[in-house]
Amino acid sequence: MSGVESISHSGICVHDLKAAEDFYCKVLGATVHSRVNFKTQDALRGRSVHTSLMLDDYLFAVMLSEDWMDVPPPKVLRGENRVRHAFCVPRARFGAVVERLQANSIPFEGPVSHPEQGPFGESVYFRDPTGNFLEVLWRRDEDAVYNEVQPLGHGGGGA
Amino acid sequence: MALNGAFSHLVVECADLEKSEAFYRDVIGLDVVGRNLVADNRPNSLLATNTRQRLLLVETGEVPPYPGSGGSIHHAWLLTIEQFKAARDRLEAAGFSSGIDPRQSFRAVGEYNMDIHDPDGNRFQIQAFGEEGTEILRSGAGTVMMGHMDDFAVGSVTHNRKGRFFLVREDEGFLAVSSWCTHKNGLTIWQKESWHFYCPFHGAKYDRKGCYVGHMGCQPMRLHPMQIDALGQVVVDTNRFFGRSGFEAAQAVPAEPGGKFDETGLTELPACDEKEVRERAKTGG
Repeated sequence: MSGVESISHSGICVHDLKAAEDFYCKVLGATVHSRVNFKTQDALRGRSVHTSLMLDDYLFAVMLSEDWMDVPPPKVLRGENRVRHAFCVPRARFGAVVERLQANSIPFEGPVSHPEQGPFGESVYFRDPTGNFLEVLWRRDEDAVYNEVQPLGHGGGGA
Repeated sequence: MALNGAFSHLVVECADLEKSEAFYRDVIGLDVVGRNLVADNRPNSLLATNTRQRLLLVETGEVPPYPGSGGSIHHAWLLTIEQFKAARDRLEAAGFSSGIDPRQSFRAVGEYNMDIHDPDGNRFQIQAFGEEGTEILRSGAGTVMMGHMDDFAVGSVTHNRKGRFFLVREDEGFLAVSSWCTHKNGLTIWQKESWHFYCPFHGAKYDRKGCYVGHMGCQPMRLHPMQIDALGQVVVDTNRFFGRSGFEAAQAVPAEPGGKFDETGLTELPACDEKEVRERAKTGG
């Protein structure tokens, strides 16, 4: 057993909150969980201004960057720029997701096949409007039984 | 179209795979699945949580600094309380000052957090949620005299900070709504701009009657019993809490001298002393 239950969320930075919200919600189907602290008094108290998006079972706290961030050249579709977030879909639906990216004119790289001895099947790589890298894949272990990912704020067994 | 899938893995660049793999295995506590299991010509290591979620480390030789974000970029590991205690021991053994949570004032009661940086400077939160987050907390304010009923206009929401409640004046009468969020013991605030109670800790929202609005499935905010005395003074008993499944007009105390709280259909909930729970939370986690 691992000493860690799951990954609960990520805070990512973008240059344009509206463009990010449109991309994650309209293209990938995320939902707005909350718009946090757009009130002046909250900002003055030091709370970060961000939009929380749920993409499948994952929470992104999408924050405005403090300054302009270095963005890899547009032609670089597969990368990390420190990190990349990967989402898995059932193998049977992988083709439909790729078509969806094409239909929305989202440039992507792939599909790329992974070694058979690993848990991953095939991936496509793309990026959000700011240049945060994303990946969609199907996994060879999609029928394996793991602990369920608990919703935000759950104690992972305790609470 | 939603992806209708799930989060699979986080890919993190590292300058030294051996060093980072050891950090995530020995300090964070992930299990190593294996090396070079993905289609990437850079050395890489896959590590596992207890769910399907994985961490993939890829060695890039050099991880450049990442200015501009203002330090907001982070990722959060969710642990059980037992795992959290074990992780804290590992962190301390590895020389991290794990007791420091720079944003403790923004945590709900029973929410434990350690902020650390990996060998390449990536910021990670280590989170756990204890049972203190779901206990009902009694403020210690006891019986609170709020003033004359005519001083509260229909539609008004009056915050009693010490008593941890809002006095809400509805058409139907008064509600004394506990300000604790029913999700994880954050203190809600009243946002008049949107006519909602809002919990800044995890984003829960409630309407003016204290009923949850959203998709986290939270219970309505709890009610304190209250009454209007013979002189029209509003009196709230903060020692007792009642749970409910939604709003019904009968929950409102009629705005007239002698107006009384009707417990019918409500469930009284056992409460703990907030101070005691906060004290416990200091050493908990």
